[in-house]
Amino acid sequence: MKKSLGRAVALAAAAAGLAMVPAGAAHADGAQTYTATLNSINGSGGSGMLKLNLSGDQATVTENWSGLAAQFGGGAYPHVQHIHIDGKGTCPTSSADKNGDGIVDTVEGQPAYGGIGATLSTKGSTSAKAATNIKIAPGGSSTNYHRTITLDSKTADAVRNGSAVIVVHGLDPSTLTKKAQKEKSNLVPSLPLAATSPALCGALTSMPAGAPQTGTGSTAGVEHRGMFALGGGLVTMAGAVLLMRRRGLTSTRIDR
Amino acid sequence: MTDRKPTIDGVRARRGRRLTLLALTGLVVGIAIIITAVATQRHAAQPAPGAWGTVAGGTPTTPLPSPARTPTKHQSTPAKHQSSPTKHQSSAAKHPRHKSQAATSGDDSHHPTALPSSNPTKIIIPAVSVDSTVFAIGKDPHGGLQVPQPGPHLNDVAWYNGSPTPGQTGPAVLEGHVDTVHGPSVFLRLGSLSPGDKIKIGRADGTTAVFTVNAVRDYTSHSSFPTDLVYGGDLSSPTLRIITCSNFDQKIGHYVGNTIVFAHLTAVHH
Repeated sequence: MKKSLGRAVALAAAAAGLAMVPAGAAHADGAQTYTATLNSINGSGGSGMLKLNLSGDQATVTENWSGLAAQFGGGAYPHVQHIHIDGKGTCPTSSADKNGDGIVDTVEGQPAYGGIGATLSTKGSTSAKAATNIKIAPGGSSTNYHRTITLDSKTADAVRNGSAVIVVHGLDPSTLTKKAQKEKSNLVPSLPLAATSPALCGALTSMPAGAPQTGTGSTAGVEHRGMFALGGGLVTMAGAVLLMRRRGLTSTRIDR
Repeated sequence: MTDRKPTIDGVRARRGRRLTLLALTGLVVGIAIIITAVATQRHAAQPAPGAWGTVAGGTPTTPLPSPARTPTKHQSTPAKHQSSPTKHQSSAAKHPRHKSQAATSGDDSHHPTALPSSNPTKIIIPAVSVDSTVFAIGKDPHGGLQVPQPGPHLNDVAWYNGSPTPGQTGPAVLEGHVDTVHGPSVFLRLGSLSPGDKIKIGRADGTTAVFTVNAVRDYTSHSSFPTDLVYGGDLSSPTLRIITCSNFDQKIGHYVGNTIVFAHLTAVHH
């Protein structure tokens, strides 16, 4: 009885040891890091990357993007940016352009990325209410953004379940079709369509956990064991035959 | 009777000579097979301690390599050099020029501008004779990075589809097997790359992104795997991380470490 119990414990320990290999994903405090590759949308030509470390409701955001419109009305072009939630967790394709003006505007993109969960502003409010406040948006053609913000539970949940999407807005009006250039923003009617249309988009996804298993060890030990066996066998057999032949030859010589 | 005896002797002698010849042939073939088996032993290459390099976005707490284990664990590096003397010479000739560059990597003032998103399709690493197709891979149900599975892509290089495409701003992540149950795989010799070596990535849009290695590192245990450095170390410039397995533990029958090559974009061919 004792023996089998001991064996069971050992087995359980071994199983636990095995289970630990793919683990090590989330940190002990539940903190997890997410990344989003920010791809050009609506032909903005920009690109970037965002990293978000979420611990409880505290999100530390590090973000780099470049190649966006630089100037607007003589000043630095404001690029409002948000964490979108409650959509499909994806970025829209050009087929989302329902009115055919060549631009997937913010509303047309909503079935894909959903509504606004948080605003990635440079200072002040980070709530959805600050979504179109261009005074606290990063400005210019590039940014190096770093800020720790508090997320509401809905937004934090969306980040954790992989349905949150980062959208950076603001297109260079000159890159728009003539039709789109005349249109007004469907979010802030006082602004042109270009100002609030998506320029960069990227779905947040958790950083892969742990280290990838990219080998089985087939080259870690001695390779070609079969070849060694065959070669060794041949040499041994040949040696034996030669030894016998030598004896045979000497005996015939004695006969003569 | 007396007439026939020498004939029997003659037959015996002839048969004996034939046997000796056969035995000698067997001896030569046997030795040749053993020599071939010894000469074709292939083991995963381990990075040289001098290839540690610098990586932008790395933290000061990054583990340092333990120089003792690299020469002792696998005798692979000298074996590899024996088998390919020309290659070794050429990379040695390259070294002096690139060593100083490696020490100050990240300060290269001639970084090409980042490319737009386009999936990688092909990878060529001349220094370690890698020429493979690249396919996209995602995460497994446990949230870890999937690895190439048995099938047509087992020995191909995989690109993590949650990372930027190679040439885009941020760290693009590639991985491949060091070996499979069938023997050596695409990245058997990845660890023998040195700072300064070139990596060419063909992309679906027809462009080729050329990266230059700035660091080749061995992380000896899975717990030391630098997750943040690999997937999010430097968000501001186009870089590349190539991962394979290392440090086979005979006791548990698994590789317990990873070799990671860090490179940065240095040219774009259209």
